[in-house]
Amino acid sequence: MIRISFVGLLCILCMSADAFAQLQRKPAVLDEPVEVFLAQSLITTGTAQNLGRGNINSTIMHNFDLVSTGYQEFWGLDAGANVRLGIDVGLTDNLSVGIGRTSSEDNVDLRFKYTVLNQMASGKIPVQLAIKGDVGINTQEQPNFDFSTAERLNYFGGLLVARRFNERFSAQIAPMISHFNMVVVDDATRSDLVNTHLANGFGAEYRLNDRHSFSFEYIAVLGDRSDDTFNPMALSWQIDTGGHVFQIFVMNGNWFTEQHLIARTTDDFFAGDFRIGFNVNRVFGLKK
Amino acid sequence: MKRSFLSLILILLSGLRTTVVAQKYFTDSGETIFYSKVPLHNFSGTSNNLTGLINLEDNTVDFYVDLKSLDTGNGKRDKDMRKTLKVDKFQYGEFFGKLVSPFDTTSTDVQPAKVAGIFKIHGKEKEIEVEGTLQKTPEGIQLIAGWMLNLSDYEIKPPKLLMIKVQDVQEITIDALLTPYTEDQ
Repeated sequence: MIRISFVGLLCILCMSADAFAQLQRKPAVLDEPVEVFLAQSLITTGTAQNLGRGNINSTIMHNFDLVSTGYQEFWGLDAGANVRLGIDVGLTDNLSVGIGRTSSEDNVDLRFKYTVLNQMASGKIPVQLAIKGDVGINTQEQPNFDFSTAERLNYFGGLLVARRFNERFSAQIAPMISHFNMVVVDDATRSDLVNTHLANGFGAEYRLNDRHSFSFEYIAVLGDRSDDTFNPMALSWQIDTGGHVFQIFVMNGNWFTEQHLIARTTDDFFAGDFRIGFNVNRVFGLKK
Repeated sequence: MKRSFLSLILILLSGLRTTVVAQKYFTDSGETIFYSKVPLHNFSGTSNNLTGLINLEDNTVDFYVDLKSLDTGNGKRDKDMRKTLKVDKFQYGEFFGKLVSPFDTTSTDVQPAKVAGIFKIHGKEKEIEVEGTLQKTPEGIQLIAGWMLNLSDYEIKPPKLLMIKVQDVQEITIDALLTPYTEDQ
């Protein structure tokens, strides 16, 4: 009995010495911020993901007319596109600022995004938390009106709370507020117009692999709203080529700034009134 | 009597193992840096998670680094680098070989050192020789070494920075203090 135990013990000791011949590979324990979303915008609404210091993100966003216009309008593509050209700059890892111009109403907007909390790989911080603000101005000439600068302004504020749940799935919820200093419609007798809207945004991204992913966004307007407006919704297929993120999507809204989407979406996605669009995001890393 | 004999054997074996272990030096916090160049622009990536073992008993040298721990100081560039190196599939850059130059453990002088073995990254491997220095210190052994790595040797497609391809040749340096290896490491 003792002989067996002794031989066994000797074997164990020798085996453990041999096992040191090559180290067992162990992953490094890293606690770095998680990349919650692929791009700084889900589709049209901002994500809690920030750019990072020294990076510049150029975006070209387009959408067309309603698909329901049919063959005669080539499912909306014959109509002129609404386009937002924008550039955002990462001033620090947690703060980015940007400027953009939308062809509708020649709306020029300035925006910022500040990341308050980064979701960490260790789970120590389980969510990404960011605030986003946007101020736009309608610069279109109005031959029949003489709007003051203040009357042309529109605003957006949002608190973006996001989490990447696993390698594939991320989601976001975002309480929002939208305000227009002045709301103009053709019919001056309408009394249902609302300057300030509250809303809650929902979004998600599902990564099929390194290159392809799907995303979804929906904004539920809360409380008072202007008549004949609907909740914006969009579904997108994203292609990440390494340098670019392309987004091909359908949406019922016609805008790329949240304040307009919330207050000015007049088509009902669930009635089949949606349009095709695509975005191109290109990030340049300029930091040495 | 039998119990005493067994105890004696165990004590002797323990002593033997201690002697063996003292010939091994280990680190899990070494520094490795790569230096990349594109025209008019250089950048580097650093990891402080270089893990390695030098066994002076049989002269084996075993090092690896988790490539996810390389930090270039730019999140987007880190992401691009990880994609280029396919780190989700090939997580480690690793070297396994032999110390082929003599090393005098009784001297505290800086001694030239040369290792030869296999370096593996991106799922590809190649025999290399690396030169550097070893120095016995009160804490253990200080290792400094470096070599030039050709991305094409490992079928790594050089990434582009502002449309310009990163040069194929990358300089790699390592700097690590290895301390006597203990069983719990």
